[in-house]
Amino acid sequence: MSAPHDDDVVLLVHDAIDAAALIQFVRAETDGAIVTFDGFVRNESHGRRALYLDYDAYESMAMAKMSEIAAQVREKYAIHRVAIVHRLGRLQVSETSVFIAVSAAHRAAAFDACRFAIDTLKRTVPIWKKEYFEDGAVWADGELPPVPSNQASPPSSASPGASSGQTPTPNGALPAAPDGALPPVTDGAPPPAPAATPAAKPAS
Amino acid sequence: MTPAAQTIRVTVLFFGRLKDVAGRAEESCELAEGATIESLFATLAGQNSELARFRASLVASRNQEFAAWNTPLRAHDEIAFLPPVSGG
Repeated sequence: MSAPHDDDVVLLVHDAIDAAALIQFVRAETDGAIVTFDGFVRNESHGRRALYLDYDAYESMAMAKMSEIAAQVREKYAIHRVAIVHRLGRLQVSETSVFIAVSAAHRAAAFDACRFAIDTLKRTVPIWKKEYFEDGAVWADGELPPVPSNQASPPSSASPGASSGQTPTPNGALPAAPDGALPPVTDGAPPPAPAATPAAKPAS
Repeated sequence: MTPAAQTIRVTVLFFGRLKDVAGRAEESCELAEGATIESLFATLAGQNSELARFRASLVASRNQEFAAWNTPLRAHDEIAFLPPVSGG
């Protein structure tokens, strides 16, 4: 688990996301580009008219996973700042559920980092949405997160205290599913990033 | 009756549709030492056959990290059963 970088924002909120403030937060004179992703509630799902959504999360783990994404983004791409905010609770059509902003000196890194962040969030962050229609409600289809295998790694004797809850399993790698019973899960590698700006300079 | 073997107590969390299936968000379980996430789930599924149907479409976490089914449990672990995620 990684603490967010001082220059990053990672948040779960229950009220409207202030996108303008996040854009302003990541912006600096040394940057040349900001790429944002605004995910919001669509008015239909599988051909049915949606009324509203409820987002539920395993909040402590979701915060940890979002912080890991911010750290991975910083490691992989030459960016300045990243902000990742997800809203929980009831959202009406057109309301923003997730907002990501990435600033960088050059656009390629900002585009790639923003794409990586939202794709990884959708695969790995424990958040669920329930869709409400005129005639009922369903939990949305989702993706099964990749799980590290556990071949030769007995748990450490470290106290598993509820507050920190760290395990020794490194999480960047996310190897393939372990014990045969899981349905085909993706191999856990981050989605192939378009070939661009491989070298990440340390954040300023 | 107190079992002779040592037991451990863990917290179990349910999310998404599993919360509906389990009828609760959280429970505390007492297990024999040496239990794994898999055996914990089997115990719960033994009490709730509806839950058993979801085994193939779940992942588990231990103390807020995704964990393999054969992960051994320790006292005071927080174990969660997570359906496919649908944030964003």
